Amino acid sequence: MTARKELLLSAAVVVLFAFGPWISPLMHLDVSIVSGVLVIAIAVMSVNLLLGYTGLPAFGNAAYFGLGSYGAALSVKYFQVHFAEAIVIGTVAGLLGGLILAPFLLRRRGIYFGLLSIAFGQVFYFIAYRYTDVTGGEDGMQVPRPLFVLANAHATVSDFGFYYVALAFFVIAVIAFRTIVRSPFGRTLIAIRQNEPRVRYLGLNTDRFIFVALLISSTMAGLSGALSGLLINFAFPLQLDWHQSGYFVLSMILGGAGTVWGSLVGAFIYVIGNDIISTITSWWQIFLGALFVACVLFFPRGILGTLQALGRRAPQAFGDDDDDDHAAFDPHAVPEAGRGV
Amino acid sequence: MASDGVLLEATGITKVFGGVRAVDDVSLQVREGTIHALIGPNGAGKTTFFNAISGFAFPERGRVTFRGTDVTRLVNWRRIAMGMGRTFQTPSIFPELSVDANIRLGVSAHAKQAFRLRAPRGEAKAAVDGRVDELLGFVNLIAQRDRPLAELAHGSQRLCEIAMSLSTDPVLVLLDEPMAGLAEAETDRIIGVIRDLRVRLGLTVLFVEHNMRVVLSLADRITVLDRGKLLAEGTPAEIAANEAVRSAYLGEGVLDHV
Repeated sequence: MTARKELLLSAAVVVLFAFGPWISPLMHLDVSIVSGVLVIAIAVMSVNLLLGYTGLPAFGNAAYFGLGSYGAALSVKYFQVHFAEAIVIGTVAGLLGGLILAPFLLRRRGIYFGLLSIAFGQVFYFIAYRYTDVTGGEDGMQVPRPLFVLANAHATVSDFGFYYVALAFFVIAVIAFRTIVRSPFGRTLIAIRQNEPRVRYLGLNTDRFIFVALLISSTMAGLSGALSGLLINFAFPLQLDWHQSGYFVLSMILGGAGTVWGSLVGAFIYVIGNDIISTITSWWQIFLGALFVACVLFFPRGILGTLQALGRRAPQAFGDDDDDDHAAFDPHAVPEAGRGV
Repeated sequence: MASDGVLLEATGITKVFGGVRAVDDVSLQVREGTIHALIGPNGAGKTTFFNAISGFAFPERGRVTFRGTDVTRLVNWRRIAMGMGRTFQTPSIFPELSVDANIRLGVSAHAKQAFRLRAPRGEAKAAVDGRVDELLGFVNLIAQRDRPLAELAHGSQRLCEIAMSLSTDPVLVLLDEPMAGLAEAETDRIIGVIRDLRVRLGLTVLFVEHNMRVVLSLADRITVLDRGKLLAEGTPAEIAANEAVRSAYLGEGVLDHV
């Protein structure tokens, strides 16, 4: 895809979403559900950066997501912060979670990274679950949506207004994400996924790159969690649970690992599928599971990754294509055996 | 830099794998400006020794000194920054990327461009471009620069890996079996490039090799390992005449034509 075509297509998607509150009733969807798609897409991107681009099994990103949600909810409940402050606090909570866990995760690779991520996530889960006095325990904590305050004016944030807040953050997140993965820094992350020993033998401290990727990822997950909590006015332990991490990973693979827009596609399928199919049958996760298995077997590049690969094969797609989304992650690939010290 | 012209010195290197001494008390000196070969029958511990020198896996005992500094426990990427370059028995490359992109990664890393959000522009870009062209020219891969490395012959992949290892401006290049799996014609091409490493670039080379024809035509010094131990060291003529070496190699017949 040429840069121009990509810009047009991206703009079209954003414009389409700008009319979300009018389009969603036509699909019998509540506007909050579409807000949920945009918000969850940010969390899926956070997983994509680590797993899809860098090749690190980010199986515990719900930890940062839940920290974001609890960060926002707790600060609203105990400190009566306003809407924007709650988002900032939740996002910072995710970043702090990343800062705390990064030293432990940094040197781990492959399955050890994945298992350790899950284990740390569960620690946060049990804290939220057990610390009933503060967090409400298993029931979670319901928190009214804080007021939006600007200068002396304040307003309640309606679901309609929230939609545009979510869209704004989503657009910022996509632009930031795209800038990162196409930068020399992002190229190095992709190189680490493909052959980390060689990157080290080019004189680069790969741990340093992974550290920064972890912080970016945890910040994005924290932002997504904060928005998610404020959207449903609720923080609950399952947001920190490893199942939640699994849904992010699943959505990423469905949408297209290592692609910028795949996260939105994956989040769309996950959130909308959850909403529509779960009203029809309580077995909806079986459908999601079947879709996932089919995807891994037949479209390992995910929906968007497969479409992009088809587009590249078409003759008109050649030319000044700068081959950017070659980042596609392949679940069939055998992990590198030996890594350097 | 060490004043006596010793660029790399390994002393008493020992590496144990589950009770087996893969490398047992091996010492070696690589002098500046030489092409030094490390040879030995299969399982002699050549690659294990190489890994200890290049920081791929630390030795249990012994000491590695590079440019006068103790690097025994130094992480591999810092050794690269100090001026070491290395290739692997199976070329360690980015097969999906083009030849140009492979080499550019190394050049950008060395130009401190890798940790940035913006691609280099202007002078910085020109410097990177120029260096990439220079390296492509050195290994004679300009014509194939835009092709994915996976599509190229094994020998070209190895040449690209050599160019990558040069992208960080090393003074010492470590080549682990640069001829492994190559056809005769490709071997000659790589012999030429290794010779050029010294003649044209003034680098010091330490390489592991099986092929005696290659070793004798390239090396100034030869170190022979056998079953993890140092067997002999000397000039090609001395090694060819060495009884112990001949008997270690006897079963393989590699010295018969010497």
